[in-house]
Amino acid sequence: MKVTAQPSADTLTLQLDGELDASSAIVLDTELAKPDILNYRKVLIDCAKLSYISSAGLGVFISHLQRFQDANVKLVFFNMQEKVFNVFEILGLDALMTIVPSVAEAEAA
Amino acid sequence: MCYSWFLSVPQRLLSFLLPLSLLSWVLLLLSALSHSGAGPWLGSWPEWSTQLTQGLFVLGIFLYYRYKASPLQGQAFVELLRRLVLVPGLLAVACVCLHLLERLAKNEPVFSNNGLFFTSIYTLNLGLFVIFLARTNYAWRALVLFRSTPRLQREWTIFEVLLGATLLLRLVGINPPTYVGIPLVAGLGLFGVYLSGHQKWVAYLSQRDKWRAVLYQAALLGGVLVFVQYFRITQVDPQLIAPQPQYAFLLLTAFFSAFYALMGLLVTFFNLPIADIIEQRRNEILRLQRLTQIIQRGQTTAEVYRILLESAVQTVQADAAWLDLDPSHTTPENVEPTLYFNLDPDKANALRARLKGHDLPEGEFITNDLNFRVGFEGVPQRFRSLLQLPLRGLHFNYGMLYLLKLEPHTFDREDLSILQTFTSQAVLSIENLELVSTSLENQRTQEELKISFQVQDSLIPKNLPTDNWFEISSHSLAAKEVGGDFYDFLHLPGRRLAVIIGDVSGKGVTAAFHMAQMKGIFHSLMQENPLAKNERDKFPVPSKFMAQANTALCHCLERSSFITSSLYIIDYEQGGFVFARAGHCHTLYYHALREEVFYFDSAGLGLGIIRNETYEKHIKNQFYDYSPGDVMVIYTDGIVEARGGSGTDEYGEDRLKLRLEESYFQDAEHIKNFILDDLNRFTHGFPIHDDQTLLVIKFKSAQPPPLA
Repeated sequence: MKVTAQPSADTLTLQLDGELDASSAIVLDTELAKPDILNYRKVLIDCAKLSYISSAGLGVFISHLQRFQDANVKLVFFNMQEKVFNVFEILGLDALMTIVPSVAEAEAA
Repeated sequence: MCYSWFLSVPQRLLSFLLPLSLLSWVLLLLSALSHSGAGPWLGSWPEWSTQLTQGLFVLGIFLYYRYKASPLQGQAFVELLRRLVLVPGLLAVACVCLHLLERLAKNEPVFSNNGLFFTSIYTLNLGLFVIFLARTNYAWRALVLFRSTPRLQREWTIFEVLLGATLLLRLVGINPPTYVGIPLVAGLGLFGVYLSGHQKWVAYLSQRDKWRAVLYQAALLGGVLVFVQYFRITQVDPQLIAPQPQYAFLLLTAFFSAFYALMGLLVTFFNLPIADIIEQRRNEILRLQRLTQIIQRGQTTAEVYRILLESAVQTVQADAAWLDLDPSHTTPENVEPTLYFNLDPDKANALRARLKGHDLPEGEFITNDLNFRVGFEGVPQRFRSLLQLPLRGLHFNYGMLYLLKLEPHTFDREDLSILQTFTSQAVLSIENLELVSTSLENQRTQEELKISFQVQDSLIPKNLPTDNWFEISSHSLAAKEVGGDFYDFLHLPGRRLAVIIGDVSGKGVTAAFHMAQMKGIFHSLMQENPLAKNERDKFPVPSKFMAQANTALCHCLERSSFITSSLYIIDYEQGGFVFARAGHCHTLYYHALREEVFYFDSAGLGLGIIRNETYEKHIKNQFYDYSPGDVMVIYTDGIVEARGGSGTDEYGEDRLKLRLEESYFQDAEHIKNFILDDLNRFTHGFPIHDDQTLLVIKFKSAQPPPLA
């Protein structure tokens, strides 16, 4: 699992590469737990190369959800593979998080 | 065969060597009497008879002692010397007594010119001397050959054979000329001198034993001198017509006996000053052994430290010492942070403060005169020498050992190296003990996990609800000893049944705890509400249940954990069911009238994701009417996400759906087994990485209850 951060003016894009499970969740958690992440207006998660997400991986997003909302930082997922989207959908997270098909829509959101 | 026969010869000889020797001695006596004219009744014996009987006697006695069991038992050198002095010493005394008696008798008219008496005494003394020499020689042989090389053993055999040859030459009457005989005897004497240099056994004596050995050897030398003196006197005594003794042989053996005793005495004597050093080294080895044995006996860490301090003090003979243990690595119970020997803590503190202020090296360190070290001169110090040594472990130091002596210049590199052996041995013991306790701890954890498993297993319903309008079959398997999947049933009044399934995120013990909590929540919320106005409100509807469970869980679930769950309340009276899905896997359903298999598609958020009242907006009830023959398959993601095939493939919802399409007509148990068989085929060879739970419920048209 690799997490690449690409900051721009008011947007931070995190590219996830690989499987997000209990062991790799820590990497992502450290990235999301950084205090200065709340200075951005939007955090985009590029899921194009995210091949699998476990409940521990979902737990990372869930645990930071409230914090992002309170700080008025928008969390947007895009380029999600169907299999991964399915996991988000089953858990009901699609109603709670913004999940869009493409980067253009993510930037517009 | 031949060889073993050869070996057994001496043992057979041994039994008749003594009688043979005794016979030869008697014959020798008779022959001597015959020649001295003391026994005219004996007639005139031939000249060679004395030579022959004497030779045979000497040969018999020497061979007897040669083949007797070795006089040396283990390393009882002093005991060997003691027995040697006791018996031959007594012989020497007897000899002297006989000699005195003889002298006295000479002045008595009765005995004067009594050749019979003098000759008998002389022959008796000769016999005693030979026995004395034989015993001594073979005792020395045992000492020379102690821890010897094969080469030395060969040399000894050559020595023996040559000595025997001198005896035999005389026996057969060959009398080498003087210019051959003298160098031959001298050469053999030198050989004896060379053999006398082998005194290895002295090194194995303790100080006290050495003193005793010196005394015994001196006594032995005295014994030899008594005999030699006696024979010197008797040889020149005109009163005696002595038989010609085996000069060369007896001379050589007497010389060797005396010389070996003398050498041994000198070696022992000059060894005395260094005896305590040798003893000290032996004690060091013993202490090291003791330290090593503690590991095998598995004693406590505290004991290891105590023995280390004790051994170190004794080995270098320190006047005081202390051992500082690093508190961060001294977790085991009952271990004092500091151990003192002959030193009160205040003094140690003063020294410690000075050492600290002095910024000394962390490792091994010797100061041989504290008085001359800057920083130490101010305090009145009794101690002059100090040795500092860390207890080095693999990753860190366990502590620091300090040894003190009153005298200056008393520690050396050698002390340091032996102490290092001690400390590394001690550290090894301690690390070993830690390993043992860790493995015990692991074992205990395993035991506790086993108990958790039993507890959790008792939470899973064993008796599935039975009624004539449905069938239930269930399966559950945890990835670890304990898991986070759960399901439960509850009969409600009026032919209603509540079925719950859930999955706690994560695995193992934490998940198992939340699973137990969820079960508790289920049973407490599914209680009849006595205040309810109508029948419908007596039990919470599934969405209400989920909202209440969400609130309850908010307080105990850590932020990154969540629970997915589905609750079904099936009502046979109405022929329908209501359910809510809180983020749990979609329910698979076979509709008998439409002959169709599908997944219920309903929205619903997992529990613990939103932790406020807004959760209620994210959960919905869904009502459905069922008909007999319908099949409901409820499961956790461990089933559909099970890995198989190429390793990254998941079992998937589609494959599960296909299996139900193929098996819906069977009863619940068979449908479940059909699905599980297929799942096992798919995951064959892969470890299960998530808990798996599968419930199959098949609705039936109610049969009339059997007549009582």
